[in-house]
Order: sequence, then C-alpha cells, then structure tokens
Amino acid sequence: MTSYEYELRDRTKISDTDIEAALDPGEAQGFYRDTRECAALALQAGAGQVLLAPPAPRPKKG
Amino acid sequence: MEQPGTTTPLTGAVRELATQVVSALTSGGHSPMSAHTPVTVGDDELGLAAVRVLGADVLLPAVLHRTLPAPADLAVCEKAVLAYPPGPDASPASRWSHWAMVRTLADLGAPTAHTSFENPEPDAAWLEDLPWQGLAHQLALLAALAVPGADSAVAGIARRRTVDVARGFVRAVRRRGWLQAAATGRWLTLLDDVPDTLGLDAGLAFVALMGGDDPRVALHLQAARPVLPGAAAGRT
Repeated sequence: MTSYEYELRDRTKISDTDIEAALDPGEAQGFYRDTRECAALALQAGAGQVLLAPPAPRPKKG
Repeated sequence: MEQPGTTTPLTGAVRELATQVVSALTSGGHSPMSAHTPVTVGDDELGLAAVRVLGADVLLPAVLHRTLPAPADLAVCEKAVLAYPPGPDASPASRWSHWAMVRTLADLGAPTAHTSFENPEPDAAWLEDLPWQGLAHQLALLAALAVPGADSAVAGIARRRTVDVARGFVRAVRRRGWLQAAATGRWLTLLDDVPDTLGLDAGLAFVALMGGDDPRVALHLQAARPVLPGAAAGRT
C-alpha cells in the first residue's frame, strides 16, 4: 500500500465515535425567521429608519 | 439533530442512502414475491457506516410494502450490525438503533439474525422522566422504531405521552427543525388520541413543503404516509 493509499484510508476511516455522533447528535439550534427579521427591524428602527410594526388596521369608512 | 453546514463524508453517505430508500418507498407496487431493488450500494466502510446510522429504515420499503427485501440489503445490514455494535458507553439512541436493526433483520428472515445476536430490549425508563422537549428530541432520534405493528418499550412510552409528542411536533415546526418535525410526526401517525387541534395532516404537508428536500425528512414523511388519515384514498 502506498503512502497515498494509507493517507486516503485514514481520511475515510469511520470510527465508532463518528457513528455515535451521527446516531446521537445534540438538538440543533432553533431557527426562527420571525425573530431574525424582527431583530433586523429593531436595528433599523434604532437608527430611526422604520417602524417595528405596521399601523393597526382601521375600519373602512362607508 | 444535525447542525446545518456540518456535512461530512458520513452524513453525505447517509443522505444518499436515505435518497435511495425514499425512492424505493415511493416506487411501491412491488409483488410480494419479488424482492426490492437494493437500496444499499456496497459494503465498503463508509457504506456500512451509513447503513448503521440510517438503521432499520434501510429495510423500511420491504417492511411497509410487505415484500421481500433485496438479499444484498439484508447482507449489508447484517454486516453493519456486526461491524458497529454499540459499545459499553453507547448512547441509548445507538443501543435502540442496533436493537431495531437486529429485530427487523430477524423479522425479515435474515439468515443469521436469529442465531448471531442476543437482542434484549435496551432500557427505556429514562424516557419517562424527560421533559417533553427532550422526549421529542429523543423520539426523533429513535424514529426508526415508529413502524406500524412493531411494538417496543419506546413505542409504549410514546403512546403514554402522546400530548408531549404533539407538543414536540409543534415546537419542531416552529423552530424550523424539519427533521425533528418529520420524525415526531411519524410517531404521531401511529398514536391514538392525537389532539384534533394539532392539525397533523396539514402540519406534515407543511413540513414536506419546507423541508422535503432533505432525504431524511422525506424518508420520515414517507414512513408516515401509509397511516395518514386519508392516505388510502390517495390524499397526500
């Protein structure tokens, strides 16, 4: 076996630790789009560019 | 569950294998007398490891369609079970995954499954005391146990904590954890007394829309389909 083949074998070797990590991963962080959008809006609002929320709907006249 | 952006050769191989399983599940219509086309692609180290990670779901097409598994798949699964037994410090998820593989192999008549392995059920009592968030996470890891007619201590706890599983499903959807949402949804399709207010059918359709590109999500959704209300009438 050449040194390259040794290196390749090591690179692709799957350990029990890899298996265990794949079978028992921690829970992924939640991804709340609304939270991120709100955070961006909050930053812009802090700079006085936009309001955080649209105006409340008003009943139509007539 | 897997963190976004952490693709390794193993996770790539697992996704590829899941894609093959989904393809076999969606093709359907096999004769009970003819074996499925193999979903595994080989018994090299990476291939065996991927089979061990995907677990009993590798054989799900044969289980759900009640057809003969491909002999090559049975052979590769047996090799994976032998190659990667849970170690003394293995997690419950690893122990249960291994147990489910051995049981499924035995149920499908794998030649050596009856004789090669002693297969006592791992402990599941620890699930009883988990908060509902943790329960949903663990059940998602153990979703290969969520198979119609396949009982286990884990399934018994899921039945006793249906409302908590439903909470976990909603939480996963809200967190955009599509894999966990699909897996907990898969469990819920097997449980009685799921609250009508949950909207499970619509929820699973939403998960499919948002996360169905992930083959592992698609696999859980396909596993949930046969028992979804209205699935027999052709509704998706």
